[in-house]
Amino acid sequence: MTATSTIAGPRRRLMASALVMGLVLAAVYVFLYAPIFYVIYTSFSADIVWPFPPRFSAQSYSDLFASSLYGTALANSVTLALGSAVISTVLAAAGAIGILRYRSRWRGLAMFLFLAPLFVAELLIGISTLAFNARVLGLPGNLFSAMAANAVPGTSFAFLIILAQLVRYDWNMDDAAMVFGAGPFRSFIEITLPTIWPSLLGAFLISFILAFNDLEISFYNLGAIPTLPSVAWGSLRFGLGPELFALATLVNGAVCLVFVVMYLLMRYRIVSFGYRGR
Amino acid sequence: MAGRLRRLLPGLTPMSAGTLTIATRKTKLHRLFAYRFAMLAGPGALFILVALLLPLLSIVVFSFWRTQSYELFADWNLDNYRVMLSEAAYRVFFLRSLGMALAVTLACLVIAWPIAYFIAKHGGRYRLLLVLLLAAPFFTGVILRIAALQGLFGPIGIINMTLTELGIPPIQALMYTPLAAIIGLVYLYLPFMITAVYLSVINFNFELLEVAKINGARPWRAFIEITWPLNWIGTAIGLVVVFIPCLASAVTQRFLGGTQSASFGMSLAQQFGETGTWALGSAMGVALFFSSLVAILLIGRSINLKRSGFTGAINR
Repeated sequence: MTATSTIAGPRRRLMASALVMGLVLAAVYVFLYAPIFYVIYTSFSADIVWPFPPRFSAQSYSDLFASSLYGTALANSVTLALGSAVISTVLAAAGAIGILRYRSRWRGLAMFLFLAPLFVAELLIGISTLAFNARVLGLPGNLFSAMAANAVPGTSFAFLIILAQLVRYDWNMDDAAMVFGAGPFRSFIEITLPTIWPSLLGAFLISFILAFNDLEISFYNLGAIPTLPSVAWGSLRFGLGPELFALATLVNGAVCLVFVVMYLLMRYRIVSFGYRGR
Repeated sequence: MAGRLRRLLPGLTPMSAGTLTIATRKTKLHRLFAYRFAMLAGPGALFILVALLLPLLSIVVFSFWRTQSYELFADWNLDNYRVMLSEAAYRVFFLRSLGMALAVTLACLVIAWPIAYFIAKHGGRYRLLLVLLLAAPFFTGVILRIAALQGLFGPIGIINMTLTELGIPPIQALMYTPLAAIIGLVYLYLPFMITAVYLSVINFNFELLEVAKINGARPWRAFIEITWPLNWIGTAIGLVVVFIPCLASAVTQRFLGGTQSASFGMSLAQQFGETGTWALGSAMGVALFFSSLVAILLIGRSINLKRSGFTGAINR
């Protein structure tokens, strides 16, 4: 009797603490998602101020699509994010391979440079690039300098993601390919790339999404070119527009779609995204 | 590395033997590898140097210059720093931003730890999914998430409208107060903290806790002496990546915080936007940069790589 109670006691405590932590987790999910779900719900509603009882309408969506400003802004945002993500992914992939594979006395410095942008606030990246471009290089705000400035933190994030997968990569496979006569480029294409492409894709997606959503860096480097975040910022300043809620819903939908695709890829074991099972 | 070289070219001198490093002749292969390292890591390093460090250097230079009617003049002086230190408004903005960043970082730490730990320990095969769900809102962008928060907290937001409909006065504390700005910042940066702590706990060997238990440690003691110090490096990274954007944040305070939470970042952005006083703005940027540097150094000093279970995997 005493034996069972001494065993059951700690187990019950463990279950209780697991229950409490589970509740905290649920509360955080509610905290994180309540505003988003509220926005999605309101975007479909006819009355934005007090959307109860619900009367559904697609008015905010037709407003959104009717406005040419949002269309231009979307095109600019996509161009900016694509360019920035390509720069980030290429630089980060090359950097991660170089740092992990070839010993050099510059390795520490290169590592430091690749990670440095993580520790600089975006506002500072934005204003310092503006100051540098405008006063030192004499460049006015343009899409390309915004792309480059956004690629700075993007490169760090991409580098971290690629590094996380590459530390487990066995370079002996490449050495084997080279012993059999493949050049470094060929061994990369045929051996390395098929193994590490999920991390490249992940790095590309993350740097794309970061640049797509960025306000603080782009705002100072784009001049008068509108992007979705800057248009949203403008409309937030003049009170919440219903089309802003529609826009938020569409962006959330796109993000969800990416996650669903990732889940399906994992589910059907096309890509494991680092999960090795335990 | 040395082993691989030896295997590739059996006649090559080993680069190191045990802890003793033997200086080798500069072999052809050596130079080839140095060249490849430079070709691969060089462009990215150069890019960061040009696109991050040079601009930061340029605002350090501009902070000693003078602006007059939207133009920068290169007469070196300390006026900007004098203005920044003597005007009470900037001091208030800075201290307020600092206090807010500290409060937000602490709140994120307290919320993130149990969650990251719970998912890592009890999440099973759904761990990744649970963490991705926590990180997903992060990909919606600051502006749209602030819009969502205003839809919840604002004067015409769902919480206050519900209260008004029920005949209860709205919660003043949620409408354009520092508290609302702090909640907003926690909302924005909590995913960072959870991810950082989770990535650390996921690599933590939970069997160590069993050992502690066998040796008679209570759960709390085991946490303090084993789990916490061994995961401190992940926690420290989380603290830094939450604290730094919070210290510089401007948009959240502007839309959620009202006049009582005007921040250093807001004032800094204003120097580059509306008022066009770039030299003063540069000085404020330098101040911001140095305060984040101090924070990084303070947190970085507390990291003991060996105590964190760092095995030097990167230097294989």
